[in-house]
Amino acid sequence: MKTRTQIDTRTAYIFLAPAILGLIFLTIIPIFGVVIISLTKWTGLEKPIFIGFKNYINLFTSDFYFFHSVVATLYFAVGAVVTGLIYSLSMSLLLNQRIAGLGLWRSIFFIPYIVPIIGSSIVWSWMYESNFGIFNWFLSFLGVNKIQWLQDERFAVPSLILMTVWGSGNLIVIFLAGLQGVPKTYLEAVEIDGGNSWHKFRHIIVPMLTPVIFYNFLMSLIVNLQCFAPVYTLTKGEPNDSTLFMAFLMYREGFIHNNFGHASAISVVFFIFIIILTAILFATSRYWIFYEGK
Amino acid sequence: MRKPGIFFNAVFTIVIVMVAIAVIFPFFWMVRSSLMSNIEINTYPPILLPRWRFGNYPNTLSVFPFGRYLLNTLTITLPSLAGVLITSSLAAYTFARLNFPLKRFWFTMVISSMLMPVSVTIIPIFIMWSSIGLVNSYIPLIVPGFLGGGAINIFLIRQFMLTIPKEMDEAALMDGANHLQILYYVILPLIQPVLITVGLFTFILYWNDILGPLIYISSNDMNTISQALANFKSGFGVDWKAIMAASTMSIIPSVVLYFIGQRYFLEGIVLSGLKG
Repeated sequence: MKTRTQIDTRTAYIFLAPAILGLIFLTIIPIFGVVIISLTKWTGLEKPIFIGFKNYINLFTSDFYFFHSVVATLYFAVGAVVTGLIYSLSMSLLLNQRIAGLGLWRSIFFIPYIVPIIGSSIVWSWMYESNFGIFNWFLSFLGVNKIQWLQDERFAVPSLILMTVWGSGNLIVIFLAGLQGVPKTYLEAVEIDGGNSWHKFRHIIVPMLTPVIFYNFLMSLIVNLQCFAPVYTLTKGEPNDSTLFMAFLMYREGFIHNNFGHASAISVVFFIFIIILTAILFATSRYWIFYEGK
Repeated sequence: MRKPGIFFNAVFTIVIVMVAIAVIFPFFWMVRSSLMSNIEINTYPPILLPRWRFGNYPNTLSVFPFGRYLLNTLTITLPSLAGVLITSSLAAYTFARLNFPLKRFWFTMVISSMLMPVSVTIIPIFIMWSSIGLVNSYIPLIVPGFLGGGAINIFLIRQFMLTIPKEMDEAALMDGANHLQILYYVILPLIQPVLITVGLFTFILYWNDILGPLIYISSNDMNTISQALANFKSGFGVDWKAIMAASTMSIIPSVVLYFIGQRYFLEGIVLSGLKG
């Protein structure tokens, strides 16, 4: 008779088979694949030609778009992450108060996160429209002239950031959960010592929330670095390549221009880029994250 | 927490209500524009309320076969959903309950694939599918759901399973149940909340996906809702009333699903956020 461990092991591998197949075919092979393809010139139709590091050399020396793309991606991602964190933290602090209709307000802030981004991008593009759009109408009350939101390279990225921040209701919900975890006794202690709301915020709430801030920072950084759908619907990388984010450039090179080698080189650099930024974030984390009991 | 004074409470309420109105505004604007004529839409200063031209919807449907796209999107989403729930529960059970050689290794491998950006692996995966001639079918979009169902889902379900006392399955094991029976009859009924959460998020993820359909689906009559909407916008760029009506239709299923499963959505976000 088989022992319990033998049965466990056999069952484990049967149960894990789909996940292991996924790991092999959707992660491991593709990682090696993307590196190998990046060393070739390949349109997908004829046989790939091995060209060594030429694609990478091109990226850093002659590809005019690539440098733009890195700068645009960083600008957008940092802008969207920082603005999104400020917005979601302030809204969650307000939503943590006792006010009427709280449940309704909380659910409203989350809706933009769950609707198809193509649908919401379309209405935003109409609100940004320069002749008849509502944003320019609002500005007219302030005496500001019409702005070409999506056609002016100074405003295109901020416009995409505003739309992205609008869609970041998930961050609010996570902050709210973090706020529930701040012990009331600590806040009462501040009151007994004669502290006001600012002291509570600065010395209790912010330190207690740092792990949640870190989590939100990390997740929204990874998501925003890969921004694709808003660019695809609204700007297609225009105006003047100001919104040519890396995920979109990779898509354009690979699937529109059928330049798989070049696109794979972009993917590899993009991957390293994401890893470096994530590593920097992790490296700084021990200086500002407060863990209770440490 | 001490109640803030009436003054502050009023200020907070006003700020929240104003921001909430701003957040909801784009949806109002979408529906409002979908019920106007193009001349009314293209009026400056903007007209705030529509003349309720409901006829825009049947007219839009004649050029934007929403039912067809809905069916296409469901054809991808529903099987994928089943695949994700089945295979991620199986993997989660293995990591939560079974002891076997290399367990830590596999767990680390599976979980670290969570951080793999889609845009990095998409070209080789596309080439694999195209080399076996399955491009322009739903297979490349559905199969990944059956291959483990995503690391984050495995992780979430495992975390939830760990909170269930092991005595429950020990008892079933004594009665001669095998692991599949324990999973099906003992564990799954107890982890329903996390399954609903994972299910809703998976549904939304597949429903809203644009990159996958863009790459794999080229025939118009196979388009998903998001893809068809993006094409419709580029093709009918000036017919804003129709574009807005199509956009409104495209967001309705998500909004309805959200209000039905609201509790689980908010719980799920919290669960995935705090365990991370």
